[in-house]
Amino acid sequence: MDIAPTPAPVPLVHDIPFWDSVKQKDLKLQRCADCGQFRYPAGPICAECNSEQATWERVSGKGTILSWVVFHKTYLPAYPAPHTVIAVRLDEGPIMISNLEGPEPEGSWIDERVSLRYSTMPDGVVLPRFELDRAAS
Amino acid sequence: MARTPRATAIIGIGQTDWSGDWRRVRNGEKPADSVGYAAQAFQDALRDSGIPKSDIDGLIVGPTTAYERMGEVLGLNVRWGGQADAVQAILQAQMAIESGYAKVIALVYGNDQRSAGTQYGGPSAMGGQSFLSYVYHSPWGMTSQGALYALTLRRYQHERGLSEADMGQVAVAQRAWATMNDAAIQRKPITVDDYLQSRYVCEPLHVFDYCLVNDGGVALIIADAEYAERMRPDPVYILGTGRSDLNTGATSLEPRLTDYYLPAQQQAGTASYEMAGIGPDDMDVMLAYDSFSVHVPLALEGYGYCDVGGVAQFLTEKGIGPGGALPVNTHGGHLSESYMQGWNHQLEAVRQLRGEAGSRQIPGAQTVHYTSDVAGKCMSVIYGR
Repeated sequence: MDIAPTPAPVPLVHDIPFWDSVKQKDLKLQRCADCGQFRYPAGPICAECNSEQATWERVSGKGTILSWVVFHKTYLPAYPAPHTVIAVRLDEGPIMISNLEGPEPEGSWIDERVSLRYSTMPDGVVLPRFELDRAAS
Repeated sequence: MARTPRATAIIGIGQTDWSGDWRRVRNGEKPADSVGYAAQAFQDALRDSGIPKSDIDGLIVGPTTAYERMGEVLGLNVRWGGQADAVQAILQAQMAIESGYAKVIALVYGNDQRSAGTQYGGPSAMGGQSFLSYVYHSPWGMTSQGALYALTLRRYQHERGLSEADMGQVAVAQRAWATMNDAAIQRKPITVDDYLQSRYVCEPLHVFDYCLVNDGGVALIIADAEYAERMRPDPVYILGTGRSDLNTGATSLEPRLTDYYLPAQQQAGTASYEMAGIGPDDMDVMLAYDSFSVHVPLALEGYGYCDVGGVAQFLTEKGIGPGGALPVNTHGGHLSESYMQGWNHQLEAVRQLRGEAGSRQIPGAQTVHYTSDVAGKCMSVIYGR
């Protein structure tokens, strides 16, 4: 049986270190070397202070669900309906769009604490995803 | 230079047969391509205006047709021209006329999106890489423009207490208006129960929250006021315009998920109200760009028709359908008339102000407000007699 390929990232030159860090299961985001602002997606200059200097820093992997949806229509072969998508506010600031794995919250998912995990798709692609943070009260 | 109210006016409107072509496309026919639909609409607008084609010295085409080809087909060698989406085209025409680059501008839009099978989600999502936020999250299965609005709506419902039944009132009201519009494709009335029982596409959005993707064309002729008054007894003036954008954090959806574009809507609205010298309380008709129903509650709050957080109460107590306190999308909007990417709303503004809206006519309408919030850009246009 054919395995549906995971949709490829949109090729942005500044994002290469991001996807490399995902592959190594050691998620890093670009951070302004001057004002400390995290950038996601990565970019050529800091939107806050205009600095061109940046570093790549490991993030805590902790965050809070801002919103979620359930697709009832299949758009992509790798994601047959129903499938869910979440928007997570990382503790470092940026919003990441991802998926929730494992148990789902009862009722509203908003404000649930989540933590990062790495999923391997059927075609071998590693994706950063989230699960409910059971350590959170 | 300060912008001048009543410096420009619409003197011609045209469209293709949306519902007729819808039926033909469903039967497997291909009535026209994008350029063909645009040309038909242009002919209709030119007839409506009563002006000679040779007076047209400006051309703006929609994003779906090539500018040079469109000018070639229409036989328009102009002094000024370009390509723009619906509301940006109105603003550009206003700017070009006010600054003397053109006097009479044709705006033409054609789209064969239904017969061509245009996809607004999935592996070849329309607009894809030119709007990064539409494709950036595809590795996680996040695709389709509806899904972006579904994420927005879910958070908005949580923060501001808008229930699914409250939301259903938008689609119900617009369908009720569409029953009085022969040009509308979907004219069967629906109830909030029908809405609640309808299938989800991207939950919390139901199928009735999505626009009707359709083939068709729209054309407008905008002229400077002196010319307009000479050629027609009933020009529809541009009284005020405003624009404000929120781009910071756009790809990660920050402006959509944290404040729902509210500051940009407020700024664009205020700019247009100040230019026109009137405010939301003075509007006879409100037309909101509605690729998805979510735009409507956001616009009602953002442009000051109700308190922020008060839209559920507004929808229930005031109402936006026939008989409601504020008539909104009186043509049925993109949800029930046809998805013409904002262009059809301008036709409805003109018809209401000319008194040509048939059984859905708002008696004595003097002012119409059009708002659009798409991909970071918030724009506000006020039309009047």
